[in-house]
Amino acid sequence: MNSLVAELLLLRRRAANWIILGFWSFMAILFSYLLPYYAFTSGITFHDRGAGAILLIALLPQNLVINIMNSFPFFGGTMVLILGVLSMGSEFSWGTLTPIFTQRASRLKIFLSKMLSLAIALVPFVLSVFLLGLTASMLIAWREGAAIELPSLLAVLKGLGAAWIILAAWASFGVLLAVLSRGTALAIGLGIIYGLVLEGIITAFGREVELLNQVSKAFLRTNSYSLISSLGVSLPIQSGPGGFVGPSVPGTQSFIVLVGYVVLFVAVSATLIRWRDVSGSG
Amino acid sequence: MPPLSRFCVPVSGYIITREETLSDVIIETNDLSKRYRAGIMAVDGLTMSVQRGEVYGFVGPNGSGKTTTLRMLLGLIRPTAGGCSVMGLTPGRPEVLARVGALVETPAFYPFLSGRDNLRVLARHAGVSYDRINPVLDEVDLLPRAADRFRNYSLGMKQRLGMAAALLKDPELLILDEPTNGLDPAGMAEMRHLIRNLGQGKRTVLLSSHLMGELEQICDRIGVVKDGRLVTEGRMEDMRRGTVLRLKASPADRTRELLLTLGGIGNIEISDDGTIVIDTDPARSAAINAFLVTNGIEVSELCAVRPSLESVFLGLTQEKPTAAESLNE
Repeated sequence: MNSLVAELLLLRRRAANWIILGFWSFMAILFSYLLPYYAFTSGITFHDRGAGAILLIALLPQNLVINIMNSFPFFGGTMVLILGVLSMGSEFSWGTLTPIFTQRASRLKIFLSKMLSLAIALVPFVLSVFLLGLTASMLIAWREGAAIELPSLLAVLKGLGAAWIILAAWASFGVLLAVLSRGTALAIGLGIIYGLVLEGIITAFGREVELLNQVSKAFLRTNSYSLISSLGVSLPIQSGPGGFVGPSVPGTQSFIVLVGYVVLFVAVSATLIRWRDVSGSG
Repeated sequence: MPPLSRFCVPVSGYIITREETLSDVIIETNDLSKRYRAGIMAVDGLTMSVQRGEVYGFVGPNGSGKTTTLRMLLGLIRPTAGGCSVMGLTPGRPEVLARVGALVETPAFYPFLSGRDNLRVLARHAGVSYDRINPVLDEVDLLPRAADRFRNYSLGMKQRLGMAAALLKDPELLILDEPTNGLDPAGMAEMRHLIRNLGQGKRTVLLSSHLMGELEQICDRIGVVKDGRLVTEGRMEDMRRGTVLRLKASPADRTRELLLTLGGIGNIEISDDGTIVIDTDPARSAAINAFLVTNGIEVSELCAVRPSLESVFLGLTQEKPTAAESLNE
């Protein structure tokens, strides 16, 4: 418990974490509400999400979960990957593993406390976007004179849970990259290239090569998008920012795969942290 | 059958009794070795011991394996061969760490936190009450700047915060690696005073430094390490045993020639300022003086001096000291 309190203090006091949270929330609302609503008021089509009344309906409060979830596998994943890298990689960069590993708590306890604090920190990353999305959708409904109907509590809870597990998978991936590279810069670079480029290219080739199609079913993005699709996200997701053209797997399978990734990434990182030497630079 | 205390265990020339190994040896290494993946042998069969309550100086040139040894004693690095124990237990175990305070290399803290908040983080990991924070900050004279962010600290302030962190647990054993780095002369004197005070009573201090003057003033015993091996280990007064003659005479070259004709004269060195250092029995100083004066040499100064720790160190690590370095001013 003591180590958890210490790790939460670190997360809370670090300005970079608040900047990531703010930037992620802004991007999510920009692409989920502000730009689509601008397209609606201008009478233009917003990517694959249609125009006119179809576009407006997606922006109303009853479609909050369906509309907001699209942001998590793409922007959300990338942003919390950076959060995960910073929370672990900076310890190497600053050399702070030496003082914290020479206190009293074991390395494993300190690392798991860090992971738990990161898991707690993901809650505001989910809630902030949902709350801002709710606010935006209600303002749009009020301005357009539409009826304000809220989504069911079950749908919201499922959405919150799915969002959290998607972010947890990406954040733990960031932690693993930081542990492997013993720093931040390389881990962020590799993570972003992997998440935004490599998975996308292989997934695109997977439409023509069956082997790659099967491989891409194990990807973080494939499973993240599959999970939100299982929640009823039925809007076309094909091109544009955050576009996804890959295969789909059943919702339960995608959930299990994402949980498996979290466990795998944390377990490998913990093993490395526990057994590797801690030298001056980490 | 002799009592237990009569059993002796030789450890690199320093004789400790069996009784001491049971109760008073706080750090012990036995053929401790560390080879890094690149093939570098950082520590090579190091055997040393530190007694409870002493201030032990750990001396060696850069790259001699001091910091690697200290990291192994803290459980941060695993040995590749041999072993070590701290308080009779494996280094790095929580019950050992709870009794050890350490400052290894450059003080490392979270730059975005204040000095006080950094100590809060460490106190949490150590299971220490926050009540300890202000006293240790006060002890290193950092209390007025405790609310400032670590990134805004000077090098000396960072060093003092590192010392405060090491004291946080009120430890039985302090492991300090170059604690005076970055301190100004006044700060160095204060730190020496602090370490000397901390080393009183039952607290043990293992102090690594390359500043010989610093160690000379603080330590009870020293161990000299080179290329990862312990060259010697012993009490400070034993290390500096022996004296040389310091002579100021003119002309210096003629003096040297005359001295070489005398028997029982060892090494003779002449420094740039004309000071001559003669490795010989100081009891012969009167005879040497008379001999030189008789031969027309003008002798202005002649005295016996003890070698400095620095000259002993350089001699042990096979780097020849200059004449000036060998003098204990």
